[in-house]
Amino acid sequence: MDDKRARFEGQVLPHLDAAYRFARWLCRPGEADDVVQDAVLRAFRGFDALRGSDAKAWLLTIVRNCHLTSAKQQQRRGLVPLPEENDAADGHAMIANNDNPESEAILSDQKKVLDRLVASLPEEHRTVLMLREIEEMDYAQIAAVTNVPIGTVMSRLARSRAALKTKWMQEVEGAPRAVR
Amino acid sequence: MQCAESLRVQAYFDGEVDALAAAEIERHVEHCSECRALLQDLEKVRTALREGITYAAAPQALRTQILQALDQETALASPVAPQANSAAARIKPRPAPQSRVWRARPFWTGAFSGVGGAAIAAVIAFFVVMPAFSPLSNELVSAHVRSLMPSHLIDVVSTDRHTVKPWFAGHADVSPVVSDFESQGYRLMGGRADYIEHQRSAVVVYQHGAHVINVFTWAADGRLPSNTTRSGYRLAFWQQGDIQYCAVSDTGWDELLGLVRLLREQG
Repeated sequence: MDDKRARFEGQVLPHLDAAYRFARWLCRPGEADDVVQDAVLRAFRGFDALRGSDAKAWLLTIVRNCHLTSAKQQQRRGLVPLPEENDAADGHAMIANNDNPESEAILSDQKKVLDRLVASLPEEHRTVLMLREIEEMDYAQIAAVTNVPIGTVMSRLARSRAALKTKWMQEVEGAPRAVR
Repeated sequence: MQCAESLRVQAYFDGEVDALAAAEIERHVEHCSECRALLQDLEKVRTALREGITYAAAPQALRTQILQALDQETALASPVAPQANSAAARIKPRPAPQSRVWRARPFWTGAFSGVGGAAIAAVIAFFVVMPAFSPLSNELVSAHVRSLMPSHLIDVVSTDRHTVKPWFAGHADVSPVVSDFESQGYRLMGGRADYIEHQRSAVVVYQHGAHVINVFTWAADGRLPSNTTRSGYRLAFWQQGDIQYCAVSDTGWDELLGLVRLLREQG
């Protein structure tokens, strides 16, 4: 294995899970795999450009670009994917690291609710929220990855947090739902 | 109607503000019930997400596919005959430590107790623990604790006193003694501005072993408290002319007073 490959595996591939999660928040599950693979290959080809900067933010930026490109191509071909019933709860990549099946079932119910609520946020709000809370990126990194000014990151974060809190309260406290 | 400070409060919660702004925001939150509630909500949403959401790890099949694609890519780029190279790639085992790293780690367990925990602890320390203390020692311990929160310690990072000292000219109301005592075991880390005694005091940050020592400098001629220990932190006070100093740390007295002696010789 040559040196570039070894460095790439050491610096960039540890962020593969983050890249995959990010792709899942951006696109539908079936597309996430392709987008991530495309992004990792592009990252490898352009690896010399990285030079000690933030590998995670860099890889996620490439993931986002690949997603945009693939979305554009699909539009051009007239392929507009129909929404699928269970997109948000798609289970093939879930992790269970809990040994107690009973508490796992309860947890899993809560997780499903939360997953559904997060999935119901607009994409640009969801990605900013997840990059902050789950990937623990700072405002500057999120701004770089999503390609918006820091002020926009802040307002999107505030809105998505408030929206999630409201939805969660409605869910937990059983407030009457709006008629669809 | 939302408080105009809400975005700044959020930035404070996310660890995005410097020490000076943090002090302002903490003062604001003390008086604004809306922002206090906001801080609680932010914490609730964070906890719910970090503990409750399903987080996906890249499926094994995707990993394998990507590694194969990288094999091909490497083979194409390599001057060695492609066949020989990909064969070599197949035979050669990958370094084990790297494959371990790819395992999805339960990262929020550590992160939550770290960042969130420290933030809550500092806020609690600020609002609850403090009133029992004398106001000045009080302020100093709270500023020291706050400085240990992520990204609050240092506003100007430098081990060079010629960089640190001029920085204070625009950021603090006093010009502190800045010196590097690396050979004596006190390494200069940088500086920061902080509110003490209603003025922008200069804080010089030293590292001694694993301990952080904050040296606060402000202008006053009132009576200084005597050296004391608060919440496990030691505070050593001294005065030179109309400038008052306090060194705060969780080191032992000998280590702390050692730095005080060196600083007094400089002052």
